[in-house]
Amino acid sequence: MKYSEIIKLNNLLERQMNGGEYKISILSNIMVHQSKDICEYLLRSESLNAKVSMGEYDNIVQDSIKFQNVNAIVLFWESCNFIDGLQFKINLFSNYELENLIEKIKLEIDIVLSALKNTPLVIINRFSSLIFDQFNLSESNLKRLSDTLNAYLETNIGKNFRLFHLDGVISRLSIKSATDLRYYYSSKTLYSVDFYREYFKDIQHFFLAANGKAKKALIFDCDNTLWKGTIGEDGIDGIKIFQEIQYLALHLAKKGVIIGLCSKNNPEDVDNILENHPDMVLKNDDIVIKKVNWENKVLNLQSIAAGLNIGIDSMVFIDDSSFEIGLVKQKLPDITVFQVPVKEYEYGLKMHQIANLFFNLSETNEDRFKTQMYKDQAKRTKEKNKSLDIKDYLTSLGMVITVYSDNLNQASRISQLTQKTNQFNLTTKRYTESDIKGFILSDDKIVLSIELNDKYGPSGLTGLAILCKKTFKIDTLLLSCRVLGRDIEYKFIDIIVDTAKKNNFNVLEAEYIKTHKNFQVEDFYNKCGLDIINENNDSSMYALETKNFKYKNIKYIGVEDGR
Amino acid sequence: MEDRVKKVMSDVFNIDIKSINDGSSPDNIENWDSLKHMNLIIALEEELEIEFSDEEIGDSMNYALIVNILNSK
Repeated sequence: MKYSEIIKLNNLLERQMNGGEYKISILSNIMVHQSKDICEYLLRSESLNAKVSMGEYDNIVQDSIKFQNVNAIVLFWESCNFIDGLQFKINLFSNYELENLIEKIKLEIDIVLSALKNTPLVIINRFSSLIFDQFNLSESNLKRLSDTLNAYLETNIGKNFRLFHLDGVISRLSIKSATDLRYYYSSKTLYSVDFYREYFKDIQHFFLAANGKAKKALIFDCDNTLWKGTIGEDGIDGIKIFQEIQYLALHLAKKGVIIGLCSKNNPEDVDNILENHPDMVLKNDDIVIKKVNWENKVLNLQSIAAGLNIGIDSMVFIDDSSFEIGLVKQKLPDITVFQVPVKEYEYGLKMHQIANLFFNLSETNEDRFKTQMYKDQAKRTKEKNKSLDIKDYLTSLGMVITVYSDNLNQASRISQLTQKTNQFNLTTKRYTESDIKGFILSDDKIVLSIELNDKYGPSGLTGLAILCKKTFKIDTLLLSCRVLGRDIEYKFIDIIVDTAKKNNFNVLEAEYIKTHKNFQVEDFYNKCGLDIINENNDSSMYALETKNFKYKNIKYIGVEDGR
Repeated sequence: MEDRVKKVMSDVFNIDIKSINDGSSPDNIENWDSLKHMNLIIALEEELEIEFSDEEIGDSMNYALIVNILNSK
C-alpha cells in the first residue's frame, strides 16, 4: 500500500476507534516522523487504538524523562549519528577518543534505562553499523562501538525492555530500499517508507502481546498441510512429513500455544499417522484438540473455539485448499487464516512468520504446562457434553480453589493475567508487574488470587481480584477463560464479600467497564445480587450492603487458604 | 497527473481534495509544516515514481509550483 493511502486510511481509522488510547512514543536521534502514520495504521487495523507521539530530533535523554508515562516507547538510537558524520570520522578516532565516546553514550544509556524502568514496554533497536559497513573488508570502529554498546544494553536492561534486531528488517528489504541516503545527508532521515512498513509489521507483535491480542491456538488441516500427500489415497507409506513445519509447531506447543487439527478425513487414518508414522514430530500428546471428520470446517472451528473456551479471533487456521480457506474466512471473519504456499520451499519461512503471531512478552513456567491444562479443559468439555445434569458433572470434578492474599511471588503471573484476560474481565485494567508489586505491598489494596485444582489436574493461577480499601471497591475481577462455565466466579464473589466483612466494611462497591470482548460479564454483578447505582453506555457502578448478601454456598467447590 | 498530485496532497494534509487550487500553500493549509512537507515529497515520489532534487524540494511550496516542476521533468 502506498504511503499516501496509509495516511488517508489511518485518518479514517482514527475516527472509528473506541476504547482507551494505547500511547506509544517514538524517540530518536535521527528523523523518523514517517513512522507515525505507518505504526498507527498497522495497530489500528488490529483494533488497537494506538496514538503515536514523536520525540524531538536528537533529544533521547530528555525525552525519555518527558515520555516515561506512556504505554510504550520505541527507541531509534543510531550509532552513525552519535556525532554528526561519525560513520566517516570514527576510523580516525584515537583509542582515547573512542573510549570517551563509549563512556558518554553509556552514561546516556544509564539515564534512559532508569527513566524508562517503569514504562510497561520499551523497544530499543540494537545499535547497528550494517548500512555504512557494507563494503568493509575489516572490522570498523563503528562496528566495535555498536557491539560494545549492545553488550552493555544486554546486561543492563530490565524485564520491560526488548532489544530488536533491525538488521533483519534491513536485510529482508536490502540496504538500498530500506534506507534513503539522499534524505540522510540532507535532513537526517535515514530510513525509507518501505523500511517502516516492514519494521512495524515485525514489532507490532510486541504491542499486540502487551494488549492481550496475541493468538492462542494454531489449527492445522492434515493432508498437504502437516504432510505432503493425501492419506486416503496415498496411504501411510505414500506421504511425506513436513518436518520443519511440525518442529516449529512443536516449539510453539512447548511455549503454551494450543495446537489442534481440523481436517476432512477418517479419524482412524489420522490417528494411525500420529501414532505410527516414523517421521512424525507432532504426537498425540502435543495436540490438544482434534476435529477429524467429514463435517463443515466452519462448524468444526467454532466447536474448537467453544471447546477451548477461547475467541475465534485468538485462532489461526492453516489449510492447503483455497476453497476451505475462503469459506472459513467468509463465515468467520475474525479468524486468521493462511494457505500453504504453492511453492513448498516457501512454507518453512512462512511458518516462522506465522509463529510471531503467538509472541508472548513474558513466558513463565506455567506456559510450558499449558498444553496439558488446555487438554484437561478439552477433556472436561467432552465430559460436560456427555453428562446431562450440569451439577452432577461439576460435582464429579472435585474442584478445590486455593485462595492467596497479597502473595508477592505471584506478581509476574498476576500481571500477565491482567494483560491477557479479555472475556471474563469486569474492568479490563492492564497492570505491569511493578504495579502489582506496589498493590501487594501497599496497605490500601488487597490482591486476591486463586488457583484451581480438580480431578484432571491443576489449572494454575486462574482468578484475580484487586480490592481497594478506601471504600471497599472491586478494582479488578477476572477469571482465565480456561476455568469458565464452572461457577468459580460465584464462589469467588462469596470470598470477596467475606473479605469485606473481615475488614469491617458494610458496603461493597463494584464497577463494570464495557469492552468489545467482555460482553459475557455484562450482567454478572446483577446475577450476584448487587444493586446498580449508576449506569451509562460504557460502564455501570454497583453497590451491595454486605449484610444483605445471599451467599451462593456452592457445595461442589471446596476452598483452601493458600497462605 | 494533476489529479494524482491533488489526491496525494489531500491524503497527506487530511483536507478535502476540492479545496486544493493553484495557490494552496503552507500559508493557507494549516497542516503543511516542514515535517509534513517531507511527507508530501516522499508520497509524491512514490506515487509518480520520480525523484525530486534538493532544489526542487525547496521550490515545491505551492500546488501550482509543484505541477510546474513535475511538468518540466
